[in-house]
Amino acid sequence: MNQNKNGTKDNKKYILMSICSVLVFLFIWELVTDVLGIFKSTMLPSPVKVFGTFIDKFTNTKPDGATIQVHTLASLKVALSGYLIGVGIGVPLGIAMAWFRKVDCFVTPLFDLLRPVPGIAWLPVLIVFFGIGLLSKAMVIFLSAFIACVINSYSGIKNTRMVHLWVGQTFGATRSQLLFKVAIPTALPMIFTGLKVALGASWNALIAAELLASTKGLGFMINQARGIYRPDIILVGMIAVGITGAILGYLIELLQKLVMKRGWRQ
Amino acid sequence: MKKKIDVTRIIMGILAVVLFLCLWTLSTREGTTLGKLMPGPGEVFKRLLKMTHTNIGSLTIFGHMLNSLRRVLVGFFLASVCGILLGLGMGWNRKCEAILRPLFELIRPIPPLAWISLAIVWFGLGEGGKYFIIFVSGFANVTINVYSGAKAVDPEVIGAARMLGCPKHRIFTSVVLPSSIPYIFTGLQIAISSSWAAVVAAEMVRSTNGIGWMITAGQNINDMEQILAGIIVIGVVGFLLTTIMRGIEARLCAWSRV
Repeated sequence: MNQNKNGTKDNKKYILMSICSVLVFLFIWELVTDVLGIFKSTMLPSPVKVFGTFIDKFTNTKPDGATIQVHTLASLKVALSGYLIGVGIGVPLGIAMAWFRKVDCFVTPLFDLLRPVPGIAWLPVLIVFFGIGLLSKAMVIFLSAFIACVINSYSGIKNTRMVHLWVGQTFGATRSQLLFKVAIPTALPMIFTGLKVALGASWNALIAAELLASTKGLGFMINQARGIYRPDIILVGMIAVGITGAILGYLIELLQKLVMKRGWRQ
Repeated sequence: MKKKIDVTRIIMGILAVVLFLCLWTLSTREGTTLGKLMPGPGEVFKRLLKMTHTNIGSLTIFGHMLNSLRRVLVGFFLASVCGILLGLGMGWNRKCEAILRPLFELIRPIPPLAWISLAIVWFGLGEGGKYFIIFVSGFANVTINVYSGAKAVDPEVIGAARMLGCPKHRIFTSVVLPSSIPYIFTGLQIAISSSWAAVVAAEMVRSTNGIGWMITAGQNINDMEQILAGIIVIGVVGFLLTTIMRGIEARLCAWSRV
């Protein structure tokens, strides 16, 4: 932090250290499992075994009835359907709550009632209404994503500088022009933060929902593997979940760059 | 943004809640299809009152609540301590950052609840696994916020301190640490609400007591009143936890919000 002068040389050193650290981590993991046998493979499988299982799961449908691609697609289908509805309703509602005073006064108290309850807690109620199918899980994810979207778009619009609005008014902008040309562009970074937070929340809720009630999906795979003491499959599932989540997060970041670079000028 | 007392806002708010309760009562009155599935708000409230002095499973509702709270607080405390130490370490020391950051980034994208199964394999069905899940849920949030806080210290301030002959460890305690405190609190704030969500999920998957268990138990015996009462308790406790955290922050960081 304090040495900015010999920067590039230092940076190389630090990158090397990072690589070493990951390698050492994998090496120690391998050492305590396969080589020294401190942890049994029913507790903690070695990295080599996890990697082998990961490759194997692309073609092998045992022991949970589907390959990893099928599980990932099933999870994605549920997560994205809930997430998209959550974003589609949450962002406009957040904007409306912040922009129209009447909506704010009326909806905000109701929303505050809903907000502190984690989405997953609704699962038993939703199962009673919609059964154990896609719909109840999608609704859980919808709730998780919805709350994050509303909070962030709401505070994004509320953070619009009054001065900017006054300038708009002075130049004769209509109310809708003020909303679309001043307030929403100001709120965009916050809205995108909301989208990212919502993604994390929905991905988390999805795993929990699949652990509790499902017949397919990565969470189901993890749960089945626990039942038959195959922690290597659990770890494979966790890795797949992590990678898919990271890719989705990256896509949102790309979208953000695309939208915000182009700007809203015409 | 806070205004003084806004009468229309309060009236509209009360109106909205009353309207919502009326709608709920009306749509679940006897004879409707929804009424067979859902109890009305009055029944849920009565049930909630009854739960305060009769047992559900082995405990009253306060017992379940305290069990869940204990789990959250233990896990949250461990997560805060480790997260703050790791975050400050990574933000302050470049070597520490180079070594630990990649490992942290490997673990971070995995959603905390995906650890539930592994936690059960490692720790069994007892308390250890639950503490672990809550620890994982809070840890990443605290770390990432503290880390960005320690990184965001104004280099000019550090420069000034060094020029005045401040030794390195004192720069850390009297410059870096105070300026990261607002970030630390942001991290703790996020961590407490995600810990609360995690304990509910963990208890729903495997447990014999706690609020999450109460909901799943209600689901198993098809008792909608118990489920809804549980949800209300979860909401109230979650709200209280975040409010308390916010209060502590307002007390301790009064200087930072000018």
